[in-house]
Amino acid sequence: MMNKSIITKLLFGVFAFAYLSLSVQAAPWNQLTGEQLEQQLTEKFAQGKYSKKGADSCLMCHKKNDKVMAIFDGVHGNSGQADSPMAGLQCEACHGPLGKHNKGGKEPMIAFGKESKLSAQSQNSVCLGCHNDPQQMAWHSSSHNLDEVACSDCHIIHTDKDPVMSQLTVNDTCTSCHTQQKSDMNKRSSHPMKWDQMTCIDCHNPHGSMSESALNHATVNDTCYSCHSEKRGPVLWEHAPVTENCANCHNPHGSVNEAMLTQRAPQLCQQCHMDDGHASRVVQQGGSDAFGGGKSCLNCHSQIHGSNHPAGSKLQR
Amino acid sequence: MRFKFNLITLSLLAISGAITGSVMAADFGVNKANTSTVKQEIFQCKRCPQIDGYSGTIGFNTAYIESDDIHSGNAFGTDKDGANASVDADLNYRNSTGYTAKFQAHQLGLDNGFAHLKAGKSGHYELVADYQQLTSYQSGNARSQLWYKDGVLTPSEHTQIQELSLQRNKAGLGLSYGRDFYQAYVRYDHEQKTGYQSSSIVTPRPVNFGLPIDASTDNLTAGLSLSGDSWTTDLNYFVSQYNNDIGALSLPYLYDVFAPAPDNQAHQISLSGQYQLSRTVMSGRLASGKMIQDDNLIQMSGNPLQNWDGEVDTLDGKLSVTSLLSSKLRLGGSVDYSKRDNKGSVWEFAQYEVNGITGAFKQNVPLDTERRGLKLNASYRLSSDYRLQAGYDRKEMERSHGDREQTNDDVLWAKLNVRALDDIKLKFKASLNNRGGSEYQTSELTSSEQNPLLRKYYLADRKRTAFEAKFNHTPTSWLSLDVTARYAKDDYDETQLGLTESEDYGYDINLGLQLDAHLSGYAFAGQQWIDAAQAGSQSFSTADWFADIEDEFINLGAGFTYTGLLEDKLNLGGDYLFANSTSNTLVTYDVSTPLGDYFSFNHSLKLHANYALSEEMALKLAYQYERYYDTDYAQIDVNTVPGLTTLGDLNHNYNAHQVMLSFSYQLR
Repeated sequence: MMNKSIITKLLFGVFAFAYLSLSVQAAPWNQLTGEQLEQQLTEKFAQGKYSKKGADSCLMCHKKNDKVMAIFDGVHGNSGQADSPMAGLQCEACHGPLGKHNKGGKEPMIAFGKESKLSAQSQNSVCLGCHNDPQQMAWHSSSHNLDEVACSDCHIIHTDKDPVMSQLTVNDTCTSCHTQQKSDMNKRSSHPMKWDQMTCIDCHNPHGSMSESALNHATVNDTCYSCHSEKRGPVLWEHAPVTENCANCHNPHGSVNEAMLTQRAPQLCQQCHMDDGHASRVVQQGGSDAFGGGKSCLNCHSQIHGSNHPAGSKLQR
Repeated sequence: MRFKFNLITLSLLAISGAITGSVMAADFGVNKANTSTVKQEIFQCKRCPQIDGYSGTIGFNTAYIESDDIHSGNAFGTDKDGANASVDADLNYRNSTGYTAKFQAHQLGLDNGFAHLKAGKSGHYELVADYQQLTSYQSGNARSQLWYKDGVLTPSEHTQIQELSLQRNKAGLGLSYGRDFYQAYVRYDHEQKTGYQSSSIVTPRPVNFGLPIDASTDNLTAGLSLSGDSWTTDLNYFVSQYNNDIGALSLPYLYDVFAPAPDNQAHQISLSGQYQLSRTVMSGRLASGKMIQDDNLIQMSGNPLQNWDGEVDTLDGKLSVTSLLSSKLRLGGSVDYSKRDNKGSVWEFAQYEVNGITGAFKQNVPLDTERRGLKLNASYRLSSDYRLQAGYDRKEMERSHGDREQTNDDVLWAKLNVRALDDIKLKFKASLNNRGGSEYQTSELTSSEQNPLLRKYYLADRKRTAFEAKFNHTPTSWLSLDVTARYAKDDYDETQLGLTESEDYGYDINLGLQLDAHLSGYAFAGQQWIDAAQAGSQSFSTADWFADIEDEFINLGAGFTYTGLLEDKLNLGGDYLFANSTSNTLVTYDVSTPLGDYFSFNHSLKLHANYALSEEMALKLAYQYERYYDTDYAQIDVNTVPGLTTLGDLNHNYNAHQVMLSFSYQLR
């Protein structure tokens, strides 16, 4: 019964959207190439033929569109806010001067989103016109900018709830492109990302940063210390790979091993420790002795991140 | 080898300076608008809806949980079996004078929940207040004979059940004030961590125990930002203090056997800025910091110090330039520098274990690192359908007292974006990474101990080859399909002992559907394999044992949302997720032996129905099912291995259910 209704819906959906997609293609500037469109919009922008009445001119036609009207729910549509576009050139602050767009609807306006043929660079220039503040300081050299990600690929402006501005939805936006990281958060161990208790932007800045991997702090370790301050030290007896980079042993996005370790003990330890003592010992049976059972090497060397005990050189105390 | 940073930077600037002025991409920034004919005073917005006052929703949840394992609390937000209540909120306020406020709360009242408040007047001042409680549950079934009280781990006659979990309570307050060209800000956060974590002590036999956690961290950051038409700058000061209320741990018959993390503090001052010259943008940052740790040391014979003067000075800097030379060509580059200078003094300390070189005494070894990086990249649009990016990255790392004083990573990479086919986007990425460095030598400090054939994996010569292909197909506006495949191989070609090779490959498929205005759905599937090989030498000569580690991960999910039933009053939704993590290790020493089961799987199902009682009020009924199983061959009973005391078998195997009824009220 349920299956039948879903199939009917699916078929209905297919026909409905086939019809809709035909009707949507009616805009005359859809025939233009990206370059032609950009050229035309650039000329129009330079001419600066703004409407006489601002938003009211636009809403004469677009008022019935719920998506258009949703701009008034958010900050960009709040005319009471002095730095909001709605307190300035209104709709045309972002969509460019009206020109002859309203006379037969043949002239294009600056449009955003997946359907827009305008380059990400040109779309983003609109946003950066106002958002050229210290938070976006590293944007131009960021991998998102170099990969031509448009602001509107992540942000929704015509709403009071931009999904990337909420702790409960930002991870969904990031993982819609970063699919490897989406999988990683479901592995045996991971930071609590899948329950939105932590978010991607706790560690990374999607607008770029002056650090590697667009991290929020100067180094990988500084980023980890922002929550794991007990590991910051320094301590008397340091463990060199720990001091150098937490990611030498941990994959912060998730792992099939416990504690987000890239490999588990004793194998991980034995990739660096092969002395003439017990570290070289082959561990053939898990759980049958202190090397392969319990916490393995960490049964004795539990202070693996470093020890501040005067007699802790072996990271045991 | 040092880079000629200045020459590279200057030449980049020179090229960009020479070519700027040719064809450029558009700049539609409102600050560039030609407003000569605009009569903004007669702009109207009579048709614009005026939204003043409060809007949003507030919700009250009551739930019933049935679970016999606290681990399910990670998914449910609390480990408490039975009934619970919590509050959600998503509220906005604004008025015509520009004052706005936002308040969001989620699962307030449970062990995992948060609240954020943001209020102020845009462009003038803003107040932010945050609260979050975050609890992670490891096991409610750890068995231990050691009980912590006042610095002493007291043995009890019988093993008792102990909970291993960590709770974080974090509160923060921030204030910013600014006008046209400046903004000053300050933010303070306090975090309290409590709970017990799995750890181990040497008595001298190893005994696993629940390490008590009772610590706090205070962070303060303050700064000033200035900006002009083509530049911005930010001066920031950050200070952090970590205080651990758990001091040295003793057993009744063995004093000060374990030193928990000492108190520490960190300071950092940074200056960053950006300058834009036409289509060339330069940005940079210089940060200088200190990490200080001078907590009291455990007093014992052979310790010459009351407290150690632990101090690490850090210096981090980066300068980047990127220039859009024409609408087709972008060039960029950056140099970065990072130094960790450990200034802590060196002393001799008595060790309980006799060291072959220095006898029973050993010197502490403060570690220094210095890193230099260079990145160059170019992006060229071959046509509107093809874009090629390529780059070269180099990272040089120097370290004191390491087995290898210096390593350098050179990476060549290229990306190709193709949009030549209708509704299909293709992205290809390839990279070659080569790590080399100074002569590998066993450190003086450990030369008599380490096998000279060992190459530590993070220092060893390595050749990495990686490929990635992404396929995005949007045949109609209601369907999108993404397929990604990846392959990477690490070859440690100079390594005879240690990690010798590793392969990481996999794919994922994501399907999104918007079937009509009411019905949407998604499905995804992904798999990943990581195969690693390592060699060891029990005889302290050449390799005589080998381990092959095969990791496998599979992840499947699907969901739907159906809105508009019963005259738009009823919405239905569902999500299902399956994840299976496996790691198999095969050890070969004469014969090949598998180490045992090490895997986990999880089924998660969520269903919900939302019914609108009226325009303002709604009821939501939700059901969540969590099936979780994990096993680890190393998890053994308390006394299975003579001489080793564990916390018992901490594996999980449970079915857990949650039913939730929520009432929400919408403010308009």
